[in-house]
Amino acid sequence: MAVYKRSYRGYAGPVTSEWSRFAIIPRYAYRGLFRSKIMTAFFVICFIPPLVFLFLIYLANNFGSFTKVFGVTGATSPLAVNGEFFATFLGIQAGLSFILTAFVGPGLISGDLANRALPLYLSRPFSRAEYVIGKMSVLLMLLSLITWVPGLILFGVQGVMAGRVWLSHNLWIAWALFAGSWIWILVISLLALALSAWVKWKIAAGALLLAVFFVAAGFGEAINAVLEVHWGRLINLTYLFATVWNRLFRSRETFEISEASAWLMLGLICAGCLALLNRKLRAFEVVK
Amino acid sequence: MSGPEREIVFENVSKFYGEVLGVNRVNLTIPPGITSLVGPNGSGKTTLMNLMTGLLRPTQGRIHVLGVPPDQPERLFRFVGYCTQFDSFPRGMTGYQFVYSYLRLHGKTAEEAADLTADALERVRLTDAAHRKIAGYSKGMRQRIKLAQAISHWPKALVLDEPLNGLDPLVRAETIALFRSLAQEGQYVIISSHILHEVDAISDRVILLSGGYVVAEGQIHGVRTEVEEHPMQILIRCGQPATLASRIFELDTVVEARVHKDGKGLLVRTRDPERFYLLLNRLVVDGVDLESIAPADDDVHSVYEYLIGPDGGAI
Amino acid sequence: MNRGDWVLWREQVSAILHLEIKKNLLARRGLWIYLLAAAPAVLLWAHAFLNMRHGRRCDLGRDSLIFAAVFQFFYLRLAIFFGCVGVFMNLFRGEMIEKSLHYYLLAPVRREVLLAGKYLAGVVTTSVIFCTATALSLAAILVHAPRQVAEQYLFAGGGVGHVLAYIGTAALACVGYGGVFLVMGFLFRNPVIPAALVLLWESMNPFLPAMLKKISVIFYLQSLCPLPVPAQGDFAFLAVLAEPTPAYLAVPGLLLLTAAGLFVAARQARKLEINYGAE
Repeated sequence: MAVYKRSYRGYAGPVTSEWSRFAIIPRYAYRGLFRSKIMTAFFVICFIPPLVFLFLIYLANNFGSFTKVFGVTGATSPLAVNGEFFATFLGIQAGLSFILTAFVGPGLISGDLANRALPLYLSRPFSRAEYVIGKMSVLLMLLSLITWVPGLILFGVQGVMAGRVWLSHNLWIAWALFAGSWIWILVISLLALALSAWVKWKIAAGALLLAVFFVAAGFGEAINAVLEVHWGRLINLTYLFATVWNRLFRSRETFEISEASAWLMLGLICAGCLALLNRKLRAFEVVK
Repeated sequence: MSGPEREIVFENVSKFYGEVLGVNRVNLTIPPGITSLVGPNGSGKTTLMNLMTGLLRPTQGRIHVLGVPPDQPERLFRFVGYCTQFDSFPRGMTGYQFVYSYLRLHGKTAEEAADLTADALERVRLTDAAHRKIAGYSKGMRQRIKLAQAISHWPKALVLDEPLNGLDPLVRAETIALFRSLAQEGQYVIISSHILHEVDAISDRVILLSGGYVVAEGQIHGVRTEVEEHPMQILIRCGQPATLASRIFELDTVVEARVHKDGKGLLVRTRDPERFYLLLNRLVVDGVDLESIAPADDDVHSVYEYLIGPDGGAI
Repeated sequence: MNRGDWVLWREQVSAILHLEIKKNLLARRGLWIYLLAAAPAVLLWAHAFLNMRHGRRCDLGRDSLIFAAVFQFFYLRLAIFFGCVGVFMNLFRGEMIEKSLHYYLLAPVRREVLLAGKYLAGVVTTSVIFCTATALSLAAILVHAPRQVAEQYLFAGGGVGHVLAYIGTAALACVGYGGVFLVMGFLFRNPVIPAALVLLWESMNPFLPAMLKKISVIFYLQSLCPLPVPAQGDFAFLAVLAEPTPAYLAVPGLLLLTAAGLFVAARQARKLEINYGAE
């Protein structure tokens, strides 16, 4: 029978714009993530240190008034709100964000690979790059909310309390917070995604993320001890970040590797993660 | 002769997954032969099979499989084989290794396991592909290798969760023949299936499930007879359907008579098929010309529709 | 239980060992454990090679202390720890994720026998890898020492005892951590967080009261190491062993801790259900 009835018509309504199509992924990801009570509770806990630091800023700027309550006059604050103060804040939030990434990151891609869902994504007008950006944006948003966002708010509060002079002399701290947070967020997000794509099993990806930090650091120390060198620290991720942040926050502490080599190493890690993602994210699987 | 050692028994068995009902208050006795579990998705077929093989523990009730409780796998799987619906396999194994390795778990020697493996592979027609990795198998081949693993130790009771999935018609027919031969030897074959005409063709008994409850169980004809809300439909092929129709209304149990659209048959609905057949005998003796008489809804498909409904909800 | 049962269990454990070793020890996906174990050995061989190439003298005393530090800080606390996390948590939880555990449960095997077989397979896999790596690392230290010095150390200086102690400790670490992570795999759907907590607990061991110290694998393992590590640098607190336990107590203590873990795991195995949808 000839096809004479052509009643089917393709969808002609509005479509999501191409540049924002990736946002579908985080929208559904957050829904799933915050269903977990543990995850939600931990996310809330991540805001406790900013509140503590907010109190410390208040205390530092109103120490005299505070001590007057206890009958002490003329006291000066022992706490200085400076680069080191904000570097400490960033260090604490980085630790919490590492744990958050260990919770969230491993399940982002491994589930899709294990359940063969990638062909479903890639058979739509949706590229691998959009897929990665979508998955990464889940972590970028969460980690931003607990690192540079509260950091800049704290900086703003300090600026308001300390006055315009302090603000103009210390604007570099805002940049250090922003840049320091973003380098941390980028590296750790790429690492979590790459490991999640590599092992296809959420639990193994989580363990691998822990291992990359601790085992690499331990092996780096072993290299230094055995070969009597310093470059073992180049595979110690915590040390790399400390070196970079040291320069950003103008700390006087000395480090055994140069800032340039730390940046180079972090760049290589990012490149390696992107290469791994490029290799693993395919819509097909070859069985030999 | 029946007894606990010759039956698979469920006594008031319920299984809840948290608040979600798997099966509720199931009381069943399954004798030898081919028994089919029939029901829509989520009705509890796989739950029932997992319960009887110990992969799940009942929330309440007791189960005995030929006198052995399922929480003693070391005794149970000496004579039970289970072909599950899970389409996943241990990584990196060939079909041969898959069957052979698990036979070694039975305590078989290497030679015994090799012989049984070869035999099982031959029975499912996978000898040629046996040394290829399972990851490279087609869906039908994966189904067959699971079946081979389940039958390799010649179990007395075979539990098969949708065993005909993915099989082409030829292999399907061979597999059904295999089940029939096992049943004829006195084995217990429990199959779950959605393919109702095949269930009709091969099953001795049927268990209908819906929403976690057993809706009906027994031989198909017996189950149909008990569904009194739906009078039996009988198709009579004859040359004079109108004449026949006027005669059959002698019986007050005849509810409806419709002439078939080709004009050469009559579709009758009656509440008492036995009396109706007796009437037909008298009519034939009186000279009414009948070509054939056959029940039109004495099958699993009709029973399924009447008891479970086309949308899967129990009526 | 009769003799026939024991023969059958032996056969079944052997079959499980064969299956699991093929999956873990001889499979490509086990590559990461080899890399983890081989890393210090490669490092020490590189050190030996560089020394020999530049004609530098080997300081056996210094190298022994460095190896002691590498063994305690890297091998015991990190490499074997994470190696056992990967292997032992995979034994049951990994198979649940891959939806292949039910094949074992559909065989006529007691759940306890299945647990024993899988645990033994994990111990064999990790012990072979890490004990070999330890032996290779020790060989790297001795290979570039002058022959007389090496022989004196080995046969007159208690060196053979040290070598056996290191290899034995590595094996016991696999036994101990294996038991802990096998239980974790049963008790937690996502065992990574408990693994992180165990790592933290082991690191805090020097600060714990005496009673709690004993609930730790590293407590017994450190006591068995032949050379104490000098307490210097950032990780000095990890080297401190306030109350070293003698070997005749440390080994049974560790085995008792492992047995307790396996007992809990056996009870969990008995109640194990297959519900892949929940994973």
